[in-house]
Amino acid sequence: MHIPDGVLPLWIVIAGWMATALILYFCISRVKRVDVRRKIPLIGIVSALMIVGMTLEIVPIAYHVNLSIIAGILLGPSLAFIAVFIVNLIIAMFGHGGITVVGLNTLVVGAEAVLGFYIFLMFRALISKDSPGWISALAVIVSLFLSTCIMLGIVYISHAEPPKSIKVSNETVNTESESVETSITEKKLNFGRFAKTVFILAPLGWVLEAAVTGLAVGYIARIRPDLILPEAT
Amino acid sequence: MDVAIIDYYANHGMSFLHRASTLPKIAFAVLSIASVVLTSDLYLLLGIYISLAALVIWSRLPIMRILSIAAYPAIFALIFAVASWNGSWVRAGVIIMKALTAALTMVILIVTTPYPDIFVSIRPVLPKIIAEALVMTYRSIFILLELMNNLVKALRVRGGLTRRRYVSNVVNFSTGIGLLLIRGLDLSEKFYGVMTVRGYGGKISAAERKGKPGINDICIALIGLLIFAAGLVIRFGTGMRDISIFVLVFSVLIFFVSVITVPHLRT
Repeated sequence: MHIPDGVLPLWIVIAGWMATALILYFCISRVKRVDVRRKIPLIGIVSALMIVGMTLEIVPIAYHVNLSIIAGILLGPSLAFIAVFIVNLIIAMFGHGGITVVGLNTLVVGAEAVLGFYIFLMFRALISKDSPGWISALAVIVSLFLSTCIMLGIVYISHAEPPKSIKVSNETVNTESESVETSITEKKLNFGRFAKTVFILAPLGWVLEAAVTGLAVGYIARIRPDLILPEAT
Repeated sequence: MDVAIIDYYANHGMSFLHRASTLPKIAFAVLSIASVVLTSDLYLLLGIYISLAALVIWSRLPIMRILSIAAYPAIFALIFAVASWNGSWVRAGVIIMKALTAALTMVILIVTTPYPDIFVSIRPVLPKIIAEALVMTYRSIFILLELMNNLVKALRVRGGLTRRRYVSNVVNFSTGIGLLLIRGLDLSEKFYGVMTVRGYGGKISAAERKGKPGINDICIALIGLLIFAAGLVIRFGTGMRDISIFVLVFSVLIFFVSVITVPHLRT
């Protein structure tokens, strides 16, 4: 789920940008150890593929595949996080996600890619090395569940103490001085209701993403096994 | 999200917004979004949204298409609105209008400015690897979109995507994504080879258009400043809060005048 503009307080938006900048700095310094010039076309192609995947929306429920876990498996966590930032920046320009919340959205989707990579590695070691399709599908379900929890955590923190905003205007609508507010006085969010809504809508997306990722990774493992986990950068 | 059509609008438009320089347009977008972030007044948000819609008409772009492209975040905002529901439509309206107005601002920027121009302008504030990868991503999107279209056509022709066979459709489509990934990664190797032959040393050059600021630049920067000033005054000004209703009425007037006077595409 992309967090849209204007729904979260400014302080958490700024904190999101700062955290993303720090992680990007860490990722870039890790990537510099390998041949960056060779990696740039690779990041470009995987980012483009994620964007192309996002163009294929299931219209009534606005769901699309992210392919972020595939990015993690193919690029490794650092390059995948950079790719996720690029994707979020570009889709925000297309009005697809909030531009002010690119930092927070990168943290959520980036967590998907990074966690997906490590969970895939873990399942591969624990379960089997011979069925990458099933393992990647499982990794998708777990990492999407965790990234949804991170997103909910961000929303919970941002609304833990609702910041009071000034009452902007009142409009008198009849002679008995009954007033109707034309602005919100405080950003109160029923977190329980929000979490329930998200957990009702999200599992369909998780299953779809897991199916697409599992089948795609299974296909790649059959045709070009060298592409799966080429290097952990 | 129709990337190809957005790119087409950005490169083929002839309006004053298309002719304006990139930096004033980015300034307009930043100021408008700052105003959206600052305000929690429904009338002002509606006013800004309608003014932006009028701007789309002035840009000679198909208004309904642009509004629908910018409507996507409303679905996510709706979830926040449902969670914040306390019986007041104003609260829900503010949440949805904030998302819609910010998205419309960004869409106006991207449908009137070729993406490489925006990239050149933001390049100085980005790390080198991200700046270079942004260019590569942009170049790759259209190649992959074509590959994807061919793939979908091939699947349809061979009966790989048929009605009511959801499971087999997902299987065939996902395998297609796998194929696209392999082709894409091969393509990245080819890109690297070709770029190395052409003398690639870690920097992809992108041409920067330079020129004196013209009337179009001043106009768009002024519109951004007006929107920001309205947001600022209504947010912090004392005794100025009823201005929002005037902003709304004024923007509705501008919109109708634009619809009547400016020849535009409706769909």
